[in-house]
Amino acid sequence: MLCVEAKSLSKSYGNVTAVDSIDLSVESGKIFGFLGPNGAGKTTTIKLLTTLILPTSGTINILGMDAARYPLKVRKKIGVVLQQPSYEPNLTVERSLEKYGMMWDVDSKTRRDRVEELLAAFDLQEIRKKKNDDISIGQRRRVQVAREFMHDMDLLFLDEPTVGLDPSARRGLLDYIKGKVRDGLTIFFTTHILEEAEYLCDEIAIINHGKIIAVDTPDELKNKFGREKTIKVHIGKAEDVGAILQGVGKYEVSHDEGTVITLHSADSEQALVKILQVLNANNIAVEDLSVVPTSLEEIFLTVVKNSNNNFGGKLASNSSSDK
Amino acid sequence: MEGNLHPIVRLINRNLTISLNMGFVIWQVIFPVIYIFVAGFAYTALIHNVPFGQKNLDYPAFISSGMIGFNIMNSTLISGIIIWNDRRHGMFEQILVGPFTRAQYILSNVYTIGIIGLVSAGLITAIGYPLFFKSVEFNILTVPLVVFASITGAILFGSIASIISTRLKSSEGFNVVINTVFLFFAFVSTAFYPAEGAPPILATAFYLNPLTYLVDVVRAGIFGNFTGTVAYEMVVLVAGAAVLFSIATKLLSKLEI
Repeated sequence: MLCVEAKSLSKSYGNVTAVDSIDLSVESGKIFGFLGPNGAGKTTTIKLLTTLILPTSGTINILGMDAARYPLKVRKKIGVVLQQPSYEPNLTVERSLEKYGMMWDVDSKTRRDRVEELLAAFDLQEIRKKKNDDISIGQRRRVQVAREFMHDMDLLFLDEPTVGLDPSARRGLLDYIKGKVRDGLTIFFTTHILEEAEYLCDEIAIINHGKIIAVDTPDELKNKFGREKTIKVHIGKAEDVGAILQGVGKYEVSHDEGTVITLHSADSEQALVKILQVLNANNIAVEDLSVVPTSLEEIFLTVVKNSNNNFGGKLASNSSSDK
Repeated sequence: MEGNLHPIVRLINRNLTISLNMGFVIWQVIFPVIYIFVAGFAYTALIHNVPFGQKNLDYPAFISSGMIGFNIMNSTLISGIIIWNDRRHGMFEQILVGPFTRAQYILSNVYTIGIIGLVSAGLITAIGYPLFFKSVEFNILTVPLVVFASITGAILFGSIASIISTRLKSSEGFNVVINTVFLFFAFVSTAFYPAEGAPPILATAFYLNPLTYLVDVVRAGIFGNFTGTVAYEMVVLVAGAAVLFSIATKLLSKLEI
């Protein structure tokens, strides 16, 4: 079953198109990662999907409901952690959790139980009596995310929830999210930290300039865009390595004036054979060898770079045709 | 797992929880008490009595009845502060992605200021009662006048505070504007002194101020002095509240996210 289905979704502000005719579909019980550089259209898309703003065109279906027609019904079934901080400055941490549960009409016993559970899960016991105004930005972010779990929901939107969190709090949050997904929750997740997306997401979409430029599982994205691998060859001391490496031919090879040769190639097996042949022919001993798999970060950078080049090309052709 | 509370009731609960802190209670109780008991008796040496309808009120009775209207106005500052804080601390958007509509958010603010206005009026009536009990004429006609003035005044001043909160972004700007506007309302009114005997320009200025109408209706209710002028003032209050509430609602519903 699809939890989120958007078709030809666009949002414009005057002449600026923040979201440009995107299609999205998120399956129930999955974690969907939504990545993109700053200003790519991630937050606008979340605001559209959570009914905060209306689309200029296109349709949005959330949990089987037309979001434009039944925004309140949709909002009763979803949770949203927005990118910007939100908190009640005068309330203590535990009171703000409790009041948030009350706002969602959660009965008082369940509220009490959940407050305790979330204070423990998000490591907030020590600051439970402190006012939101008196805690750090990272702690406030933890309270903001924890608060959203006070109520029941089928779909949770998390817009960069780990901003400001230390590595241990970040890992704790990601694991908590994974646990909730095992219980049936669906997550729509945006982040700038690509290791997080790789660790967490079942499927990833990359948006740039308001357009979706890639959608797939992390592994498939690596297969599609990450063919190029990095090979590092550690050698013994040798003279004139630069000249010797010219024998490698078409492959992109660099060395650090010392004992490490780095090679980037989509055709990594052939390249490795070639470099070993050259080294062997010159009596240079190989001491160590490693192949670094392509990270999601490299794929992200590649995909966005390609997209920027295309976008730049279009802009150039548009401006030349304007003339 | 769900309770059965209406969304507006839940929002009112939340509004009251975040608003009613020690600072606000001091502002709402200590400040008027000082005015009533210190200024009230101190000024008696200068102002022996104030003619009001068929009665002559002593100054403590006059000022304590005026403080009811003044306190209703002050309490409605809460409305602006709630909206402004919600925008500043991200709760406005958070509420609107929750199980609430904008209309419910706006109405919850109206009810919140109505409740705070009524409680405020009741509190000052209780505190001031020993001072004006000799002249008081509560009856089935006059008590509703005080309740009417409390609710209409709360909506009117709450709307003004809401309008200001939707237009200003910086905390300095918000504080300066709201304090200036409410200071003008407080002191250019009949809350502290009668219009009769004031210089004509000042007396005219008094009647450009909605607090004067609110205070006059409250006094009419307490001292049983319902006249044609009071009826006219009630109409002005209702009209003012309706217009300002419409503007506040329009601005709030168009507030960008």
